[in-house]
Amino acid sequence: MSDQMIAVLDWIAVLCLVAGALLSLVAGVGLVRFPDLLSRMHTAAKPQVLGLLLVLVGIGLRIAPVETGVFNVGTLLLVGLFQIMTVPVAGHIAARVAYRSGRIREDLLVTDELAEHLERRRADEPS
Amino acid sequence: MTWRRTAPRGPERLRSLRRRLGKVEPVSVASMTLVWMLLFNGFRLREESLGLLVLGVLVSVLIMVLFPLPPVASGLRLRPWNTLRLIARFFADLVRASLQVSRQVFTPGPPVRSSVIAVHLRSDSDLMLVCTSVLLSVIPGSVVIEVGHPERVLYLHVLGAVDREGAERARRTALKLEERIVRAIGTRRDIADLEASTGGEGP
Repeated sequence: MSDQMIAVLDWIAVLCLVAGALLSLVAGVGLVRFPDLLSRMHTAAKPQVLGLLLVLVGIGLRIAPVETGVFNVGTLLLVGLFQIMTVPVAGHIAARVAYRSGRIREDLLVTDELAEHLERRRADEPS
Repeated sequence: MTWRRTAPRGPERLRSLRRRLGKVEPVSVASMTLVWMLLFNGFRLREESLGLLVLGVLVSVLIMVLFPLPPVASGLRLRPWNTLRLIARFFADLVRASLQVSRQVFTPGPPVRSSVIAVHLRSDSDLMLVCTSVLLSVIPGSVVIEVGHPERVLYLHVLGAVDREGAERARRTALKLEERIVRAIGTRRDIADLEASTGGEGP
């Protein structure tokens, strides 16, 4: 690979790393600024995932030309894949528990079809 | 699934082993081996690559024999072109969703309001349900709160959907995502289910 090519790749990698870091920062700010748990799940699920993926792409571009013994592009792929697969599950569990235990701000919800559903089910069940 | 409390002996044990070996699914073995190869950098060709591959297959089979799981119900059927489109669309949506949440984070004023909406999925397969809910959480402005399993309803928390129109938009996006997933990896039956239920309402 020519030196020029490597320089271009380096710049792309740097851009990815900076963008990824910024998105993670946004996710952090969101955690502070958003009012309740359900809204906070959004910052954990979206900017954070994209930020991590961008950082992984950046690292991948940096280490693709050089041979490291520690980890390689395959490892990065796995990290990204498992992140995409597990973050929604964790978010779902947290959101579900929060909802069921009533730790949400109902004044911030405009419509709540789940509450209607749960109420209907409670009415159906013989008490 | 029935669990045996007493350890089977002799020929009985052999038969049980054979039954478990019969449950080994080639697709699962292939994917576990793929993960194994990625972990150990097996795709960089060198002397021990073949050994790594064999070992990976053996470990996957061993895992499936020791910890048998019920088979993935109806399975899946990969359509390469639609899958590529799904993936490309996924990344585009991920970028858009991230920018949207970033904007909401930095919008001054009172806290952002949101809705919880119910989305009735149309396909009948568990796998489609799982894929849809995983992708829904990552992409279009929603987090899955609750899954109504037998009736296949997803309850989504949609950030920034302040009126009926916003809720409807989110519902349409979710259903479109389901359709894309089913068309990418669904079996023929899933697609038939999908089309049967969209026939009345239009696409």
